[in-house]
Amino acid sequence: MTDSVVELSHVSKRFGDFTAVDDLSFALARGSILGFLGPNGAGKTTTLRMMLGIMPPDSGTIRVLGRDISQVRERIGYLPEERGLYKRMRADAAIAYIATLKGMRRGPALARARALLKDFGLGDFAQVRIEGLSKGMAQKVQVLAAVAHDPEFVILDEPFSGLDPVNQTELEAFIRNLAAAGKTILFSTHTMQHAERLCDRLIVLAKGRKLFEGTPEEASGLLPRRARLAADADLGFLAAVPGVARVTPSANGERQWTVDLQEGADGRALLAACFEHGVALTHFDLAPPSLHDVFVSLVGQTP
Amino acid sequence: MNRAFLIARQEFIKYVTRRGFALSILMFPLWIVIVTLVPQWTGGGDETRTHVFTVVDRTGGGFANAIYCAAQRQGAQRWLDGAEHYAATLADPARLPRQGIGAMLASPAPATRRCGPEPDYAAIEAALRQAKKPGAPDFAPVDEGGLFAFIAPPAYLSGAAPAKFPVAVRRALATEHAPGAPLDTVFVIPSDFGKAKDAVAESWTDGRLDLDLRRLVEAALVKALQFKAIRQAAPQLSDPTILDATARVQGHDPERGAARDGAVDSIVPIALAIILFVVSVMNSSVLLQGVVEEKSTRMIEVLLSCATPREITSGKLIGVIAVALLTLAIWGLALLALMAIASRDIVHLVFASLSATATPEVLPLLLVFFLCGLLIYGSLFLAIGSMANSLADAQSLLGPSMLILMLPNLMIAGVMRDPNGPLASTLSWVPIYTPFFMMLRLSSHPPVWQLWGTTALAILTTALLIVWTGRVFAKHVLTTERPPALGVLLRGLLRRG
Repeated sequence: MTDSVVELSHVSKRFGDFTAVDDLSFALARGSILGFLGPNGAGKTTTLRMMLGIMPPDSGTIRVLGRDISQVRERIGYLPEERGLYKRMRADAAIAYIATLKGMRRGPALARARALLKDFGLGDFAQVRIEGLSKGMAQKVQVLAAVAHDPEFVILDEPFSGLDPVNQTELEAFIRNLAAAGKTILFSTHTMQHAERLCDRLIVLAKGRKLFEGTPEEASGLLPRRARLAADADLGFLAAVPGVARVTPSANGERQWTVDLQEGADGRALLAACFEHGVALTHFDLAPPSLHDVFVSLVGQTP
Repeated sequence: MNRAFLIARQEFIKYVTRRGFALSILMFPLWIVIVTLVPQWTGGGDETRTHVFTVVDRTGGGFANAIYCAAQRQGAQRWLDGAEHYAATLADPARLPRQGIGAMLASPAPATRRCGPEPDYAAIEAALRQAKKPGAPDFAPVDEGGLFAFIAPPAYLSGAAPAKFPVAVRRALATEHAPGAPLDTVFVIPSDFGKAKDAVAESWTDGRLDLDLRRLVEAALVKALQFKAIRQAAPQLSDPTILDATARVQGHDPERGAARDGAVDSIVPIALAIILFVVSVMNSSVLLQGVVEEKSTRMIEVLLSCATPREITSGKLIGVIAVALLTLAIWGLALLALMAIASRDIVHLVFASLSATATPEVLPLLLVFFLCGLLIYGSLFLAIGSMANSLADAQSLLGPSMLILMLPNLMIAGVMRDPNGPLASTLSWVPIYTPFFMMLRLSSHPPVWQLWGTTALAILTTALLIVWTGRVFAKHVLTTERPPALGVLLRGLLRRG
């Protein structure tokens, strides 16, 4: 038995002349949370659909839970990007229906659906039709439908899209709980904050190609660290400090500067240089580059 | 396959809990009631409506009397038919007069009337009253006057000059009447009728000439002319009723070696064929809408993550079949109930047809063709739904498809005129029409080779369409592209994998 829950090897998918996924390979370790990042049209959903067996790849191989997808459908949970449930179905029946298609018997599936709804504060809405629920409630029901059959591997396509901040926080907690329970989770998003907070590993896609694969920390390392300083005096002298790649004054005329550091450079050298020049700083911060910066940088470089 | 049945169950529940399903279930029997009753309310289709007519006989009166007597005899015949049916169904044979009702009918009362012998209505009524089975209703005879009431022409009409005749007819139609019904037809027998070859009788109506009345008048005139010719050869003959004779031809079925009534035998198969079309189109349209809706809400993506395209299409088709069979059962019971209310005779005919249909040779084939028909229509609609991105798309694809699928309905009359003729045989080999036309033809015993050949064709067509629908579904259900051109679609279907 392999430790990888998913293994993609040189997978490509074309729609006519358009290449949606181009020679993509990666593996996802059991029990991890993988963020699948990319701008719109990057090939995220197509890759997820191929992993689910909804569409076959034109070339390459995909193994899920060590087998062909057709043999393990029942061990996978899936939340599609655009939420789809039968509007006239009751909430508990909608969850139970998907769970039965995933192999549960109807009685236990219905009991599990009701228990989940109760746990998520929707116990009073178990018998309400989907069309009678608010958008947030319906999305919760859909998430519950994806996991009611207790899958080993959960694929969530843009799970935070359309949710308000409170519900986003709840969903983040839910995903963490799933991971804590030993599930392997793959979710696609183009909102970097969620990925930053949740993921063990990241894959960045653009135009069907993999641009990056690694941990969030490794992603941060792709860009130099950046310091932000403010003072009444001119800080242009910092360009001469060893390890400084670039000093950029504020574009709006304020007395603020952004200093890009070379890889491995120590930010404390900036403070020492200011002290030596007798400059009193009114602001100083030194942070690793955000995932947002990394993402924009990576995707922006894509031809 | 378990997933296919789960999907089938869900589809079944989804359809039968829609308000539209309840409405359609109610609408069909209601439609039958409306189609049956509205003509009666408006008088157009009521076979008991009395047509009042008069005859202006410019030859001297002989033809008018012949027409009058023909109407009288027809009324008597209806009365006797009713009495005979009552005696056969609601009277106790042991308590009927010893010679039986048949003998009583055959020995009418003395010829005391203008048109010769007539049945002894009072004696027959008394006999039936006495022999009535316990709980049976009393014999309710129809008016012996019949469907056609003759009135003598008023003087202003019979004496009207040719130029004034239309005015006189209009006046007569507006003012003359028999008890309870207005005059609606004036027949004119010209003075040279029966002498000049080109002389024709005329009918003047208010626009509602009854075809049965015209046939009755034509038959009476033919008989009068024949009697006139016979009397020239045998002047001693005085009673025109010697020309009264009836002859029946009883159909026999060489397959069963027994008497059969082809029209009765074919009631159930024809009804099933028509219901097949109605049910298929109705439920398949819902199936199509369901797929388009699933595509637009992306529910289809969830389903595809749980089951294969073939499991999904199979489940949907099984669900539609279950809905169709439920619809058929409810409609069948509702129609039987309506018929029982309307007329016991119709129920009798339907049961006679059912017993002719429910034979080991016919019933299995009827079921096979019915199921194949449902699956063929369902597959086509499912394929259309999976290619459409919106209901508007679906409508544009559905329009031409419906024209093709409706064609068999326009051919029913032609096929039933000669169920084993060239037209019926040819249409039976058009794969998507095979189930429909073979259901129509089953009671007419088509040649054995055609029976087996078309059964194989129907099953093969159904299997191929299900496989192809699975392929179309898998290829197109997740795309948002425009539906493919027919050539592209066919090439895609014929390519494996």
